Amino acid sequence: MRATFALTRYQLAMLLRSQRWLAPLLLYAGLLAVGLGAGRPLLDSLGLAAAVLLPATAWLVRICVTAEPDAARHCAAAVTGAARAHLAAVAAGVVTALGFGLPAVALVAFVGDPHSTDGRRAVPVAPAVAAGLCGVLACVLVGAAVGMLCNRPLIRSRGIAVAATSLLTLPALALGASPANAAVGELSRASAEGAVPLPWVPVLGAVAVAALAAAVACAVAGRRP
Amino acid sequence: MSWAVRLENVGRRYRAGGPWAVRGVDLEIRAGTLVRVAGGNGGGKSTLLRLIAGVDAPSAGRVRGRPPARGYVPERFPASLPLTALDYLTHLGRIRGLRPREAARQGARWLERFGADGYADTRMRELSKGSSQKVAVAQALLGPPGLLVLDEAWTGLDRPARAVLDDVVRERTAAGGAVVFVDHDPSRLADACTTVLRVTPPDSTAPAVPAGPPVPSGSAGSATSVGASMSFGAATPAEASTPAGSVAPAGAADPAGIAVPVASAGPAAPPAPDASAGAAGPVGAAGPVGGGVRQGGLTRIEALGAPGARVPAGLPQDVRWRLTPGGDLFLTVPHTRSDEVLRVLLDAGPPESGWHIRAVREEGENR
Repeated sequence: MRATFALTRYQLAMLLRSQRWLAPLLLYAGLLAVGLGAGRPLLDSLGLAAAVLLPATAWLVRICVTAEPDAARHCAAAVTGAARAHLAAVAAGVVTALGFGLPAVALVAFVGDPHSTDGRRAVPVAPAVAAGLCGVLACVLVGAAVGMLCNRPLIRSRGIAVAATSLLTLPALALGASPANAAVGELSRASAEGAVPLPWVPVLGAVAVAALAAAVACAVAGRRP
Repeated sequence: MSWAVRLENVGRRYRAGGPWAVRGVDLEIRAGTLVRVAGGNGGGKSTLLRLIAGVDAPSAGRVRGRPPARGYVPERFPASLPLTALDYLTHLGRIRGLRPREAARQGARWLERFGADGYADTRMRELSKGSSQKVAVAQALLGPPGLLVLDEAWTGLDRPARAVLDDVVRERTAAGGAVVFVDHDPSRLADACTTVLRVTPPDSTAPAVPAGPPVPSGSAGSATSVGASMSFGAATPAEASTPAGSVAPAGAADPAGIAVPVASAGPAAPPAPDASAGAAGPVGAAGPVGGGVRQGGLTRIEALGAPGARVPAGLPQDVRWRLTPGGDLFLTVPHTRSDEVLRVLLDAGPPESGWHIRAVREEGENR
């Protein structure tokens, strides 16, 4: 466990120093800037902040699992095994994505209008923020699953990996079966109705999806590092 | 300190149905031993090292008993990482369970020992090839590792750093660690090697039917000879009794194997009798060299020349040798002369008529 934390720290240090996080951050900020604005309904804005984090997370995970040259990856893999090294790279991407999403939720809580979509009912801010955090978590986990399933070691070709990551992002957001879609859907329903539920079922679903994807990707990384 | 890495019928291929890079390897690497892996290009040496280090997983068989702390130095380390050398070493040290300050201290110490302390704060991607290689070696030594695997780690190092690495390898084995290495220089640590494993490509050869004329063991290009199954003398007594030569007739029945004539002995213990019988060679071999008892350590060198080759001129006086018609040359020399003898063998003639060093090992006190 300690080794996995140390590996994650190492991956995070590489990501931060490499400045490759900048492009996903610009993507995220750009998408937010289009959809957010002062005075828009709070829960709708939180749903948007969560939803556009999904492609940014998939991209960050791709950056992290491809950050190391083979030689450096082998050196780390000799210490802990290739599976754990891969898991740590994914964890670094997830942590960075949460680092994008949490300030975004705080920002939305400040500028959003705490009323339902039709403006008639007041929305309590604290439960709304909690629901928004659940939405962010669900989208980050599903985005990480997309990133894990569409990149090394499952897909090694760079072109195919990028195309697959972009393509799988769409159904992960749009299909009703996706926990990310369910979480964002609950937020927008809550905005329409003015009542704030905690979308914990989608979060559990997202945890299951991410765990499954991680199990597959790490098992393959252990077999074909 | 009584661990041993065991490879059991290990094979590796890079895609299903593809050719085997390594196949049928049974091998034991015990704590305190120094193992050299020899063989031609593309023979699977690097694959074998990655399997031993745990960087790669076998497609068949299993690897067991690795110690928790392992270090691996890859063949090339063009690490275009955005971290400085010392930051990288600190991170790798922490992955090995060191505390931050201790990891940084050890990293700085190794950089200093390899003469790269001036580059501690240089970004890895700005380092020269040689300095980068020093960082690669340093990261493997943090901890320190119980099992150290070096894939051509000396290549790219300057002369002083190469000497330091020689010393470090001796220190690691003396401290009870195991070191497995590949190097293109056959005299590298020749006096300290416990075991030499010779690897030939599993699919390079071999009539599917073991009929046909037996392959002479004396051809200089033995790397392309018929594969025998790998055996590791003292580790598995059943196999130790088979002739250890790479072209043992028994091996012809197993066309896709790895050929490894093996000599083995513990550094402190005298070699097991069955191991020395195995080392007697496949063709026309009488027993092991008998005769005069000599105090002080002896080194046994096995070399392969062209069939009918003659013993090279210029060997020191106190060398005992035996030559088979097939070209197998067995030399027993005092430790102190082993380097000299190896140089004579390596300098003798062009490659095709010269001598190919197959094994160098310690012979104990009184043989």
